[in-house]
Amino acid sequence: MPIIGDRVEIERKPKLGGGGPGKIPHRRGYGGGDDGDPGRSGDFRSREQRMRRYRIAMTLCLISVTAVFVVLTMLYVFRMGKGRFDEDAHAWIRDWVPLTLPYLQLWINSAVLLLSSLTLELCRRSMMQKEEFASMGIIPPRLKHDMPWLGLTVLLGFCFLAGQVLVWNNLRHQGIFLQSNPSRTLFYILTGTHAIHLLGGLAALIYAVAGRLLAMKFETQRIAVEVTGWYWHYLAFLWFGIFALVHFAKG
Amino acid sequence: MPAALRAALLLILAGCLYLFLAPPYWFPAGASMQAIFIDHQFKVALWVLGAMFIAGHLVLAFVLWKKPRTDGKASRGNSWLEIAWTVAVTVIFFWLHVSGNHPFAHMKMSTRLISQPEIEVTGAQFQWYFRYPGADGVFGRTDVQKFAKADEGNPLGIDPADPYGRDDILSSSLVVPVGQPVVLRLKAQDVIHSLFIPAMRVKQDTVPGIEIHSHFTPTQIGTYEIVCSQLCGTGHYKMRAVVRVVSEEEFQQWLTAQKKSSRE
Amino acid sequence: MPEALSNPNSSRGIRHYLFSTDHKVIGRQYFFLSLAAVLTGAWLSLLMRIHLVWPKLAIPFLGEIKQENYLAYLTIHGTLMVFFVLSLVPQSGFGTYFLPLQLGSSRMAFPRLTAVGFWTALISFFVLVASFFVPGGPAGAGWTEYAPLSAIAAAGPGQGLGTDLWLISIGLFCLSSLMSAASFLVTTIRFRAQGMTWLRMPLTCWAWFITSILILLAFSILLVALVMLILDRHAGTSFFIPGGLAVSGKAINHAGGDPLLWQHLFWFFGHPEVYIAILPAMGMTSHLLSVFARKPVFGYKAMVSATIAIGALGLMVWGHHMFVSGMDPHAGFAFSTLTTAIAVPSAIKTFNWVATLYGGRIRYSTPLLFSVGFVSLFITGGLTGPILAQPSLDAYVHDTYFVVAHFHLIMAMAGVFAIFSATYFWFPKMFGRMMNERMGQLHFWITLFGAYATFMPMHILGIAGHPRRYSDLTGVQYVAAMAPLQKFITVAAIVTISGQIVFLVNLFWSMRKGPLAETNPWKCTTLEWRLPSPTPADGFADAQRVVNYGPYEYNVSGAENDFTMQDAPAS
Repeated sequence: MPIIGDRVEIERKPKLGGGGPGKIPHRRGYGGGDDGDPGRSGDFRSREQRMRRYRIAMTLCLISVTAVFVVLTMLYVFRMGKGRFDEDAHAWIRDWVPLTLPYLQLWINSAVLLLSSLTLELCRRSMMQKEEFASMGIIPPRLKHDMPWLGLTVLLGFCFLAGQVLVWNNLRHQGIFLQSNPSRTLFYILTGTHAIHLLGGLAALIYAVAGRLLAMKFETQRIAVEVTGWYWHYLAFLWFGIFALVHFAKG
Repeated sequence: MPAALRAALLLILAGCLYLFLAPPYWFPAGASMQAIFIDHQFKVALWVLGAMFIAGHLVLAFVLWKKPRTDGKASRGNSWLEIAWTVAVTVIFFWLHVSGNHPFAHMKMSTRLISQPEIEVTGAQFQWYFRYPGADGVFGRTDVQKFAKADEGNPLGIDPADPYGRDDILSSSLVVPVGQPVVLRLKAQDVIHSLFIPAMRVKQDTVPGIEIHSHFTPTQIGTYEIVCSQLCGTGHYKMRAVVRVVSEEEFQQWLTAQKKSSRE
Repeated sequence: MPEALSNPNSSRGIRHYLFSTDHKVIGRQYFFLSLAAVLTGAWLSLLMRIHLVWPKLAIPFLGEIKQENYLAYLTIHGTLMVFFVLSLVPQSGFGTYFLPLQLGSSRMAFPRLTAVGFWTALISFFVLVASFFVPGGPAGAGWTEYAPLSAIAAAGPGQGLGTDLWLISIGLFCLSSLMSAASFLVTTIRFRAQGMTWLRMPLTCWAWFITSILILLAFSILLVALVMLILDRHAGTSFFIPGGLAVSGKAINHAGGDPLLWQHLFWFFGHPEVYIAILPAMGMTSHLLSVFARKPVFGYKAMVSATIAIGALGLMVWGHHMFVSGMDPHAGFAFSTLTTAIAVPSAIKTFNWVATLYGGRIRYSTPLLFSVGFVSLFITGGLTGPILAQPSLDAYVHDTYFVVAHFHLIMAMAGVFAIFSATYFWFPKMFGRMMNERMGQLHFWITLFGAYATFMPMHILGIAGHPRRYSDLTGVQYVAAMAPLQKFITVAAIVTISGQIVFLVNLFWSMRKGPLAETNPWKCTTLEWRLPSPTPADGFADAQRVVNYGPYEYNVSGAENDFTMQDAPAS
């Protein structure tokens, strides 16, 4: 039984072509030159190639998500600081009413999200291990503590979303609505956008869970979990950023 | 075919030059201080860019005429040439940019005019309103949602309870004395409009929710068009007014006449 | 071998097209979607031009065109042309088809994502067209949909359901573009053939790559702006609507918003959008000028640097659309400086195009004619940019016909010329036949003269102070006085648009009956010309290409032919 955490190196037969520049003879022609890459082998269908391109795609997705939250954060800061123009005063006045945050609920939700990140990471590592066996053609013996980390993550994700809905309901019962004051609007927008993105991540995780049940290729499941893992951890990090913003920049 | 293409480019060049050198319409005569700066800047820009337009097309026609090299030593690039034309273009464009900053600063960042009485300009669908503060020099408070009734002569929603508003003069045209700076406070009631006075070379969007400052100094007596230049709905095309630049005495007479009629 | 020569996909049924993940099929689908969009958009512009100079004319089936119709046509014309034509064909159309082929790959990185991207764009188009059939008609606040006009349903006809549909349509389009861009980026990063270094990629691939980065950043922000506008319209928020407004005497129950926020968000997207439209066109022009001048591109590295510079600077100049908006004049100064800076790489590219032609053994076929036309129109349209970049001058010509002339010459005409030249160029590869050369040349002459005749006079209108987006020329006296020139423009527009029939006839006739094309009719060096014409369904299949040469090896001393394919064996 392998010790958890051991990496097993696998010998693979190098394949020619595809996937990027190999060793390049310098020929006449502008724009030549080896851009320094050692011969990168592997075709489109290999595990490393698939994983690599999904990782790059996820990086691009994270750039897009970052752009969205940067804009929303800037909006929050500017709206709070600059206020609105008042015609009677003929000047800009700050009309930001600080929001009393339901800290207990928010901390509980944060803990749930952090826990879900943890379980997802454990799932990812367990799958990484299993894959190394799978690629060697060995069906791994059922590990004694083979917990359904993925299912747990999905559950925790839904708990987080439910918790957020509870926070919003709580605020609504206090008469704090989306349109009441810019501080409310931006709180709902920031947390709402985060929740929508998390829902997208949950959909991807459910796809990975379904993969297990539908006998999808293990490699595909592994890629789904790995790449969604990046996304999920990023959203957790983003969540703490939002929490910090609405707390420290309360107005 | 090559000859036809070269001829076409030259014909187009000639046509465009003719269009700009003998245009059927041109800038309306400038009637403000800033028109002098802006018109000069336009002239410089049009000549410089026009020269680049001519040069560009002549060179394009030329390269279509130049005989091909037969020795197979086609040039792939020339770093010195790249640097040279990059520097040249940078110099020309930035010189244009820097020389254009003076009129812009003058238009936007002059603070010494605060002592002039403001005239409030309000854009609404699809009408311009001009309000003068009257003898007390202060504008009355307005609340469009509460008090505005266009058919009862209060389109701006001046608060009837506000004493400062009683002597405010409302006009549908902008009347100003010649030779003195005109300070405008721009507002909008519903959507974004834009105050455009072509003869004065003045354009400033009027944005609901904020008050924007603008100013100009008219230099010639006359009547000039004001149009709206930001799409504001179906009546955008007919949202117009006039600015009447009159002598100082006539302006005072007009003000007095307005005050009299508002009291009656 | 008749099978190889005829279109291998032509006999497949509808199921093939619905579920195809073949990037070549998807590229063609984008091409035809854009064709539908451009025909609709051109028809709308004809209606607009006719209404301006002959307002009482009743169009068959439509009747007399009213003011709100005009504004609706204006909005949808702009939306269709900017989004569904200029952002689709050069990037998603030709890019989806030819990026993998030029990189030597047999597929896109994410074929299914690319397919979903197309279908999303198609649904987006249908939603936009559907807005013509709802009460109130389509949105009528211009393709820029400035708030509060676009945020308040009572502010005008078309600002109700029509605007909602516009928002949904463009939101879907954002998603489509983001998917397509992700696919392009990963394909370019990971799917280049062996030996295809970054600096051996054709300039078209560079253009598609940089454009995809711009799409990733710009469309994300547009999506945020659209969602915020939908919330303002339906959830009672006030991002863009300030307090104290009254429309037609009715109080608007919002407070605290800033109309300028919409402009910042929109133009942060909007300016990169025009570079998204023009960068692939520039890449194609560089490519085609080299092929038809039988010379390497002059200054390949400078061209790459200029493309990157335009992309990067394009993200920083959005405020030049807002000089008169009430924005802080200091910010205006900053934006003006950056905008002047972006003129420099654009000029570098122009010089390099001209230098590419210089001394070349130029072959005057239709693609070349349109590429030369692109350079001419780019010079003309581009040179009015420095005027618009100066706030003091822009304060006069903003929102006049001067701006309309500028962007039509540079986007609508130069961009469209590049689309035409790419169509004539790649037609043999896409459809296996050649387009008719004579008709192509006729098309070129009509369009070149038509473009200048239609849009050059608009500069004069703008200089004389003629505002844009006026649905009627009789409202203001000095505007009405310029009607003769408007008539001239309308006649020129009618002639130019009618001339496009030559192109359409040529296109559809040649697809069926054109002379069969050989594998490499233009003797081009890039990898897509290795494949038979039309491209077989499996593209490069599993054959691995090994690239030994750069993309523009024409007329190089020591070579046997006047061109060397990129994957020719290393000597």
